[in-house]
This record gives sequence, C-alpha cells and structure tokens, in this order.
Amino acid sequence: MDMTIKYIPVFTEDVEKQLGFFTDKLGLEVSGTKSVLFGQECTFIKTDNPDVFIALFKQQNNTKSAPIIISTDDCLNDYHSLKLAGVNFYNEPQYTPIGLGAEFLDPFGNRYLLIEERSYC
Amino acid sequence: MEYLKILKNNNVIYSGTRQHKFTQQSTADFSIRFVFSGNENYSIGRRNLSIYPDSFLILNKGTSFSSAVDCAQPVQSFSISFDEKFMDEFRNCRMMKDSKLLKSALGNKQEMEFSETIYPFTGDIFFNIRHLKNHLDSGVQDEALINQYLNHCLISYFKIYNEEICQKAERLNFLNRSTKIEILRRLNLAKEYLYTNYNRSISLDELADYSCLSVNHLLRTFKQAFRLTPHQFLVQLRLQRAQVLLRNTDYPVNEVVNLIGFECPSSFIRLFREHFQTTPLKYRQSA
Repeated sequence: MDMTIKYIPVFTEDVEKQLGFFTDKLGLEVSGTKSVLFGQECTFIKTDNPDVFIALFKQQNNTKSAPIIISTDDCLNDYHSLKLAGVNFYNEPQYTPIGLGAEFLDPFGNRYLLIEERSYC
Repeated sequence: MEYLKILKNNNVIYSGTRQHKFTQQSTADFSIRFVFSGNENYSIGRRNLSIYPDSFLILNKGTSFSSAVDCAQPVQSFSISFDEKFMDEFRNCRMMKDSKLLKSALGNKQEMEFSETIYPFTGDIFFNIRHLKNHLDSGVQDEALINQYLNHCLISYFKIYNEEICQKAERLNFLNRSTKIEILRRLNLAKEYLYTNYNRSISLDELADYSCLSVNHLLRTFKQAFRLTPHQFLVQLRLQRAQVLLRNTDYPVNEVVNLIGFECPSSFIRLFREHFQTTPLKYRQSA
C-alpha cells in the first residue's frame, strides 16, 4: 500500500478572502481549480513541497470536519485491503472528475479521503 | 506469460502473448477483449475487424467468431468473460445505485445485449483493466479483489457505452428512436472499418458501401454522431497510432508515416504539430 498525503483541505466561508490571505499575506501561488471531493469545487494552492497542495473549499452547511486527503496509485486495491483490516468506509469507491475516490473514518470519527488521480486526456 | 483464470463465480480471464494464433469459437458469456501490444483480427459473420491497444471489442453471449494473431511482434491479448449470474447481480445492484446510467444504456431490455463493436480503450476502463492485469501478472489469487476490479470494469464499460452509443444516437437528427439506433449501428460499422483499415487509403465509396449507407447519408450522419467527418476521424486515429509507434518503437519518422497510412511526411508533421503542439521527434524524446 503506497499512500501519501497530497492535499491539505481548508474550508472557508469566503473563498476570495481566504485566497487573498494565502496569496497576498503568505505569498503562495494558486495552482488551479479542479473538482474534487465528489463534485465540490476547490482551488489548489502550491506549497514549498511540489507534491503537497492546499485544497481550498467553500464551507457548506452540511460540511463536517475536514478530511485528510490521501493519494494512492490504486484506490480499489487499498479500499479492499483497508476493508479487510476493518476500516469503516462511508461508501464504495466513486468516480470523480479527477479520478477514483473513497472516504473512510478512523475510530474517533476523523475523515479521510483516499483518492487515485487519473489522467484522462 | 500465459494464464487462463476461472474464478469460483465462473468469470474467466485469459492473458497470453503470441505471434501466431487462430481460434474459432462461440462466446459462452458476454466478453470484453483487449490487446496490450500489436493487433488481433476478429471475424464476426462477414465483418472483419482489428483491435489495437487503443481500442477494445465486446462480444455478446452466443456470438460466433474467429480470431487470429499473425504479427512480426508478439501480441499481448487479454480477455474477460463475465458469467451470466454475475452480470445479473451487477445489473440488479447497479439499477438501484445508478439507475440513470444503466437505464439509458439498457432501456427496458431484459437481456444484457450490447452493440458488438470497437470502443475506445480510454478513461476509467483503461486504468481498471491495467490495475487488474498487473495484479494477475504478479500472481494475485484473492478472488474478492479480482471481482472488485471486474465489477468496476463493468461500471466503466457502461459509462463508455453510454457515451459511445446512447449519447451518439441521441445526436442524430431523426425523430424515431429505432431509426437513430439503426443508423448508429451502421455508423459504427464505418467506425470499425476505419479502426481496422486506418493504414491504407480508404475511399468514401467503399466506406459507405461497408456501412450500408449512401455517401451523402454517411457524411451527414457521421458528422452528427461523432462531431467529425470520416476523414477527420481517420486523421485523428492515425495521429493517435503514430504516437504509440513513436513512443514504443525506434522506427524512423518516415517509416511511421508509412505504417499509419500517410503518404506525405511533411503533411504528417504539420498535422501532428497542429494536434499535439509538438513535433513527432520532440514527442518521441519526451515520451
């Protein structure tokens, strides 16, 4: 199993204001907007580590705690192994515009999103 | 490496590398057929078609066919036959979870019968099959995991079926749904003719003849369904296959030009640059 943390999610009520904080105050650079987390649009912001991005989401009424987003090269395989190990998944792996993802919980209710990004072009 | 894996639920997976092979058979179950290198030729009734690594073929239960491999380079074939019960369970389960996708693909049909034609091997089915093959090649025996991949192969096939058949039929300017389906069936004959004979000169007359349409009818409806003329479709296919040759072989560009059916290297280079914003040589160096 090869899982690495790739995205650090940040939820905000005002995306523009939050973006301004990241770019004007912290001097970070916007990488691009993609759809992740099952359809909820987010903006990626570059960090010093080229393999790690901040993922900025609009706070929704039903948003719970921010998930930790883990990158995998084979979502179905990891889903299967983790299920066998007794990990509690919200749902079966689902297709998103950037790849295949599945969400699970730890015993204390913290959320994790396992995502296999796929290059469709 | 060659293996034939029969799972406990009677799903069957074959993988093998051959230079020469001829088989004649009927499909016991719905099956999906791929090649990972070279090409495999199929005859279904009077139709002859070839699959390459950028495409796959589906065969319905009971279809009689012959397949042949006759290639200078080894051809890696990979096929999956889905047991009828597995298909039924998939259908019942998915009808509840993703009713829109399945209902548009199947309508009210009781039998799972699909258009037996060539489909593009891209998107999620490409990733799912590649993962599955890697696991099987490395000796994975866990049938629950293998069936998980098979289940997702069907999910991703339905997505492609929806895009390639349902959505393209909807684009045709006919009122009657059965007319749309019949015209698309003929257009798919034209499409598979292009996929199979891409490396030689094809006239519009022979393409229209093969697809049982008049030239005018073919031109008009092909553009409606595929949003490209047959000529544009052929050029795109040739360029796509040129990419594969540039990536995987050392053939000089002039030879690649001949192999994909272009007559003039300079027009090939110009079109390649227009489509991919790079030259063939730069593409090869970066691949």
